[in-house]
Amino acid sequence: MTQAGHEEQSGKRHRKQRSQPPLLEWISAAVGLLLTLTVLGALAWEGLMGPNGAPPAVEATVSRITPVQAGYVVEVELHNRSSATAAAVEIEGELTKSDGTATTSTATVDYVPGESTRNAGLFFKDDPRRHRLEVRALGFAEP
Amino acid sequence: MASQAANEHPNRKYAIGLARAFGGAIIFGLPNLMTMEMWFLGFYLDRTRLILFLLVNFAILVGLSRFSGFEETASSKEDLLDALAAYGVGVIASAATLTIFGILLPGMPLGEIVGKIAVQSVPASFGAIIARQQMRGKTDEEEDEERDVAERRGGYGWQLFLMVAGALFLAFNLAPTEEMILIGFKMSPWHGIALVLVSLLILHAFVYGVGFAGQEQPPEGSGFRRVFISYTIAGYGIALLVSLYVLWTFGRMDGADLTQIASMTAVLAFPSAVGAAIARLVV
Repeated sequence: MTQAGHEEQSGKRHRKQRSQPPLLEWISAAVGLLLTLTVLGALAWEGLMGPNGAPPAVEATVSRITPVQAGYVVEVELHNRSSATAAAVEIEGELTKSDGTATTSTATVDYVPGESTRNAGLFFKDDPRRHRLEVRALGFAEP
Repeated sequence: MASQAANEHPNRKYAIGLARAFGGAIIFGLPNLMTMEMWFLGFYLDRTRLILFLLVNFAILVGLSRFSGFEETASSKEDLLDALAAYGVGVIASAATLTIFGILLPGMPLGEIVGKIAVQSVPASFGAIIARQQMRGKTDEEEDEERDVAERRGGYGWQLFLMVAGALFLAFNLAPTEEMILIGFKMSPWHGIALVLVSLLILHAFVYGVGFAGQEQPPEGSGFRRVFISYTIAGYGIALLVSLYVLWTFGRMDGADLTQIASMTAVLAFPSAVGAAIARLVV
């Protein structure tokens, strides 16, 4: 018993004298190494497979139309088919009625990263399902 | 039994250290984790520059582990283990926090997810390695020993290294925001000069007033001029270089002309200088 107490007391000193780090230290260092290599590897892979100077290519498609009290919401899905990021992407929806009159609504999306999709919405007074609706991305800025 | 207890003891201690590291990672990482510019940087930051920055960060982690020297036996091997563990903690803490915030979603491409985590892992791992020293309860005896270690390692080179680490940390925290550029536009050249002088003044006040790690007084026989030149001016030089490097990493210098670069650097060198000045207090 007395020896155990003595051992505990000298625990702090003992810690300093040991040359071998505790098992947990090895485990967390291994996890850290794994994560470090994963992050570096993924970034390097992306860097090598990277933009290749190709500009962002954003496609807009209508994903859903929902009637609301004030009219209709057209949800638009933006898909960037290039690996370059597009910033400040402006989208426009044009609703053309059968009599030839057209109304447009626009929205701006802060970022559409490469190979990613982002969603936006456009509001219309008339039912887009009963008229001709065209959505497209108007332009972007480089981030 | 006795040997088993002896085996468990260091593991338990290390586990407590790890928990503190997570705490530090969250504290130091939060300002960036909750800044949207940092999320965006995750996917558009140039990959070569990001990888280079991660390697620089790792070298700083190894150096910080060495400097703080909380173990007498600290060898290069242990410094490496410490740095790896701190980086692991930084990555896990960043990933977990970003996931809770809904910034990382399952549908995102791998490059975007990894990029966002990688950017955040820098300040978080910095916090992790600092916390292991800052947050543990110290006995007087341990503090004395630490002071010894600090004195032993308190050479000029280490002082400069600490300044680099502190400057890098603060510059990294502030450089991503649009305000760095905006402040540069708002300031006249006279404001810029005033800012440089104030940065120098603050740096010198910290260097002179607070003293050096492990030293109560400035180095023996060093007058105002010596301290000013070898610490304050050198420190401000470090702040400027670190600012330039961080601005380059974030792509702020691309397409900017010399005047713009100068004003951005002067603006960012202010927090860098403060970081360089207080690094010795934090580590």
